[in-house]
Amino acid sequence: MVDLLLESLVHVYREGNVRAVDGVDLIIGAGERVAIIGQNGSGKSTLVRHLNGLLRPTSGRVLHDGVDAAMSTVAQLARSVGLVFQDPDRQIFAGSVRAEVEYGPRNLGIRGEELRSAVDAALEAVGLESEAKTNPYDLGASRRKLLALASVLAMRTPVLILDEPTTGQDERGVQRVRSVIQEAHTQGRTVIVISHDMRFVAEGFERVVVMRSGHIILDGQPEMVFRQDAWDQLASTFLEPPLSAVIGDRLGLGSTPTDGMLIRALVSRG
Amino acid sequence: MLGGIIGPVVTVLLAVVLPALAAGVLRALVRTSLLLTLPIAISALVVNLFFFPGGHQVLLRLGPITATAEGLEFALEILVRIMAISGAITLFYLATRPQDLVVDLERRGVSARVAFVANASVQTVPAMVERAQQIAAAQRARGLDTEGSLGRRVRGVVPIVGPVILGSIAEVEERALALEARGFTRPGRRTLLWWPPDSTWERVARWGLLLALLGLVGARIAGQLG
Amino acid sequence: MLTLDEVSYRYAGATRTSLRGVSLTLRDGEVLGVVGRSEAGKSTLCLVASGLAPRTLGGTLSGRVLIDGADVVARAMHEMASDVAIGFQNPGTQLSGVATTVYEEVAFGPMNLGIARGEVLRRTESSIDALAIRALVDRDPDRLSGGQQQLVAIAGLLALAPRHLILDEPTAQLDPAGTRLVSDAIRRLAARGASILIVEQKVDLLAGVCDRVLALDEGRLTLEGPSETVLADPALHALGVAEPSPVRLRRLASEAGVSARAIELALGRVATEAPGG
Repeated sequence: MVDLLLESLVHVYREGNVRAVDGVDLIIGAGERVAIIGQNGSGKSTLVRHLNGLLRPTSGRVLHDGVDAAMSTVAQLARSVGLVFQDPDRQIFAGSVRAEVEYGPRNLGIRGEELRSAVDAALEAVGLESEAKTNPYDLGASRRKLLALASVLAMRTPVLILDEPTTGQDERGVQRVRSVIQEAHTQGRTVIVISHDMRFVAEGFERVVVMRSGHIILDGQPEMVFRQDAWDQLASTFLEPPLSAVIGDRLGLGSTPTDGMLIRALVSRG
Repeated sequence: MLGGIIGPVVTVLLAVVLPALAAGVLRALVRTSLLLTLPIAISALVVNLFFFPGGHQVLLRLGPITATAEGLEFALEILVRIMAISGAITLFYLATRPQDLVVDLERRGVSARVAFVANASVQTVPAMVERAQQIAAAQRARGLDTEGSLGRRVRGVVPIVGPVILGSIAEVEERALALEARGFTRPGRRTLLWWPPDSTWERVARWGLLLALLGLVGARIAGQLG
Repeated sequence: MLTLDEVSYRYAGATRTSLRGVSLTLRDGEVLGVVGRSEAGKSTLCLVASGLAPRTLGGTLSGRVLIDGADVVARAMHEMASDVAIGFQNPGTQLSGVATTVYEEVAFGPMNLGIARGEVLRRTESSIDALAIRALVDRDPDRLSGGQQQLVAIAGLLALAPRHLILDEPTAQLDPAGTRLVSDAIRRLAARGASILIVEQKVDLLAGVCDRVLALDEGRLTLEGPSETVLADPALHALGVAEPSPVRLRRLASEAGVSARAIELALGRVATEAPGG
């Protein structure tokens, strides 16, 4: 189990002098399920890329269980932190679904029976078990995205980061992503998701971190982050609360960021 | 001694330096031309200064080799000529917007597609580089070792090059569809909204210079000029 | 009026048929939504309706595509431009790549068509106003946000003065701000009487703008009708399509045995207060 700590993290992109992350302190405990939200350019993607070493801090530290990540290469950090990117076509290179999913665990030195079972489990988790021999480009865009997810799942990392897993997905794909996250959480893995689907975030995560201009402006449970008194802050990073939260507020039911909470509040009001 | 190079120097001043000044690119021009010509200039200077056949008037003696005044004169002549050439090319490059050139060519009848390719090609390289970087990041996140031994790094080529090529081809297909949908494949000329203005003076100057060039070449051939 | 009459289509080199016997009509001034799971044939439908399939993509088409009753099979792609224009989900790849300003980008289409200069300018101006992107005209299209690029792309299509506009998941790759920009723009176009065929996964967006909706499943048309009816149809779930939020909340309320009236009232107020809905 891995605790993640970002300490006074600053990242400046040299080109254009952009302070993409401007002094962030963040602790994510092992097993937490966290969503990171904020407008494009708020620093979300830059932030998570520090967790597996793809980006190194301009200043500040990244600690994995107290050990400075600067000591390890990206390939080494890939054992504990899996990162699924938004665009599967900027990753997929193998001629078959199975070969694609095998790539990650193979790089970690996993072979034989262990490799086979890791790949099988990952394919089943995303619903591609019957497509093991299919060429990835014979799958539609939606399922290729699930393939990319499977390819990282198979690495069985204690930390799993997903960058916009539901963007461009159809309803079935979104359901799959939901169940994958649920399963990973049940297994005790830390799950960090960047998303701009507010309903997805409110319904699936215990903790929501809101970013704007390289800072964290809100950090807490959905009930807190999507409560009416936080709406101005959300608006400042071009986000809107989920519909249930808005309706719940209109009806004077308090903070109801999910459908379930809204309905329960209506029921108890009688 | 300087008699031989006065002509070329004046030409460079009039044809390169003054226009560059007028276009506001003199500084960049000097910097770029110097950069371009420095290696040649140094070697031309050294070779001719010390090893010019027929050099008598000694300026400097460095052990077995001597620098002669005739050598210096010849070297300077060569230098000025080199500067004229590099200066002219650099001036053209600095003072012309590629867009203007392409539009003007199209106005004069070059096919719109050629013009398009000329314009659009510039962007392909940075786009491909960016794609390759993103792909490399995704593969590294899956354990591809880019910091290890050479053997390991070589093995990393396929997982990066493959998607770069496939992705670039796929993107080209998408772009082609969008272009087609916007009438790009219509045969014939397209309407241009603007083109670089071409005043009478510019036209006169162009033809005048062209004729002067032909005249000079002719005179050279006929042996009138040394 | 754009009509598909028993259209079936198979991509070049493909074994399965992507569209099977689809018939639909898109009338002038109408907004038609298309829903369905991924790979159901929605994008294929757009490509066929726009003429790109089979003209540019190859493949086999059977059935007829008609504009105002006339079969367009003999027309070249550039001859289709004034009837049907198509937009895609990737904002970046739709840009011509040769325009240094948004103005030039929008003018690209009409310039290609060889229309008189004055008319090109007139159409460009009118498209810029229709998409409300006047503030962006001097900007470099490559430096805009995804949502802004999508607006520019749609303006570029409008400048062709097409009778019908086809939009294939215009907000799929956009963040909430971009989605809001584009859906507001589409709403405005619809209000001005544009004829639009729009494919979207975001059913809430469709609910706010479509007159009719049709559902595709494995290349076949399965549902068709007024948007409120189709989007509330429970059969959508089996087709892999999400319910619009009001429909979902109503269902959850009734399952919990609570009156949905309060929700309906609140939704009504939300819809009028926030222009996005």
